[in-house]
Amino acid sequence: MTTLEREPVRLGATARRGARSMTPWLVAALALLVVAVILSLCLGARAIPLGTVWDALVHYDPSNAEQGVVRESRVVRTIIGIVAGAALALAGALTQTVTRNPLADPGLLGINAGSALAIVVGITAFGIRGFGGQLWLAFLGAALAGVAVFAIGGRGAGMSSPVRLALGGAALTAVLGSATTALLLLNPDALSAFRHWLAGSLIARAQAPLGTLAAVGLVAVVLTALITRSLSALALGDDSAAALGTHPGVTRAAVLVAVTLLAGLATALAGPIAFIGLAVPHLVRGIAGARLGWLFALSLPVGAAVILLCDVAGRLVARPGEVAVGVTTALLGGAVLALMARRLTVVTL
Amino acid sequence: MTLVIGAATLVLVVFSLWTGTVSVTLPDTLRAAVGLHTGTAADFIVGQLRAPRVYTAALVGALLAASGALMQSIARNPLASPDLLGISAGATAGAVGCIFVTQNTSSLALAPWAILGALVAAVLVIVLGSRGRLEPFRMIIAGIGVNFVGTAVVTLILTKIPDNIVPQAYAWIVGSTNSRTWEHVRIGAIACLVIVPIALMLARGLRVLEMGDDLAAGLGLRPGRLRFVALTVSAVAAGLAAALVGPIAFIALVAPAIARRVTRSPGISVAASVLMGAALTVFADLAARELLGSAQLPVGLYTSLIGGPYLIYLIVRSKGAFE
Repeated sequence: MTTLEREPVRLGATARRGARSMTPWLVAALALLVVAVILSLCLGARAIPLGTVWDALVHYDPSNAEQGVVRESRVVRTIIGIVAGAALALAGALTQTVTRNPLADPGLLGINAGSALAIVVGITAFGIRGFGGQLWLAFLGAALAGVAVFAIGGRGAGMSSPVRLALGGAALTAVLGSATTALLLLNPDALSAFRHWLAGSLIARAQAPLGTLAAVGLVAVVLTALITRSLSALALGDDSAAALGTHPGVTRAAVLVAVTLLAGLATALAGPIAFIGLAVPHLVRGIAGARLGWLFALSLPVGAAVILLCDVAGRLVARPGEVAVGVTTALLGGAVLALMARRLTVVTL
Repeated sequence: MTLVIGAATLVLVVFSLWTGTVSVTLPDTLRAAVGLHTGTAADFIVGQLRAPRVYTAALVGALLAASGALMQSIARNPLASPDLLGISAGATAGAVGCIFVTQNTSSLALAPWAILGALVAAVLVIVLGSRGRLEPFRMIIAGIGVNFVGTAVVTLILTKIPDNIVPQAYAWIVGSTNSRTWEHVRIGAIACLVIVPIALMLARGLRVLEMGDDLAAGLGLRPGRLRFVALTVSAVAAGLAAALVGPIAFIALVAPAIARRVTRSPGISVAASVLMGAALTVFADLAARELLGSAQLPVGLYTSLIGGPYLIYLIVRSKGAFE
């Protein structure tokens, strides 16, 4: 059996890390998020000064065109970015934890591709264009794809070779992606409407009811909070975990539900975006270490910040047009993945 | 057995030239296929529409299969293939970059860019996938990364290309044999005539290499140099294939594996793989043309829909057996 580990950490560093308080890091992460939000609202095809942004939010003047831009498109984009980024980062952290696989990410494993295909099938075959219906389809697609990839790569018991899971995900992404492209090519009007979404985009394509988003997100986060303890115990192995009073099967099922909700939500909002779930947990793990609670808690704001920054970069690089955020994250994440290939230590048993 | 595959390929080519929405007689088909004038509709239907397409498909299939066979031999891993390891993505990025910069879509212009893109991707995969020496699993991870980056670059460039060629652009991403011309066939034929013999020559050395570097060195081969040359040839072949039709997924992966199974040979057989690749691609092209009637989907989609599940099957079967 071969496992992949990160490079060994010196014992002293671990001890120091364990004694350190995490609250300052949480504050820093939230500050980073605030900065990202400000950048997202101010920068773009047109650079809008901070004062105007503030006015647009607080003293809205409908006749001012710049305030209109802020309120109509940028605020919505930013909210979508926050929700999608946080959801993807948390989903990635959960997947990596339960599979003990540093390469796990809902985008890489084909889960987002499954959501995307389900949504496109809904549009082309059943004419489902409302956000609510698409959200349910996204959940369905994510669940099916998740089950499929874990069946391919070995049951999510940490016994699967990380490479096999990644390869299974690549194959599944290719198949599902081809099917999605095929359906869109057969329906040109759907293609033009969904071209941007398919590349991963924060542009508001449908009226997403905030209430639904909040509810789904809350359920997923609460679920994660409830199972964090069990997940930590699971890291010791199924038998030890059972002896400690947790149910491995129930915990894993709960993780699948949470990941489905999060990945489905993110994909329904912003299209299939890869690599946030891969890169952000790795960044955060460097700070949080093995403490799952903090890993999950920090992933949320950092994930939101990263996706917003990628989106801003995409908007700045290609003025007056923009580069889809899915492309920017793929460029970033592909680089991360390629570098990880060099850094990872292989332990062969 | 290789001859049987070759015969089957030939039959498949003829069949593909013969079938279609417009019916032509078999003798006319055969005559038009080799360029003889028949005075019937076959001249246009077969000679101008179907033949370039089918021949291009066969030649591209051969190139891809050769590329895949070489790469699988080098990596000693049935899952190594230019499309999984990002080399096809690099080739497509080069080709699309050429379209963007020069506005020229002829294959002759695209070929050098595509080859360059493929070689850049190959270098990245090698550099990132080695720790001292090239390690197969590390190469795969690096390859997946390079693949994503390459695809992202392609998507990026495609968003900059003028709107009027968006559907063609999408066909580019998945690989298409629609509207191929005799120019494509010419380039493909030259490419095959050069690459396939080289691949066959390398195959012998690579088969010895499969027994181990030390043994091969003892027999007078130079393992490092052999791998390097083979990888270069593999990348060039993939690049040329991409320049002709865009990235057609999974042929490079699947053809050598099926060929090996069919011929029951212990190692990778380049000759059988090449023929099998041609057969598979011609078959996929036929499906692309006829299966959905008026709706013509790119051939790359069909190869993905067939090859993807096959890859999944390979992965499931190889429980831990490919480190």
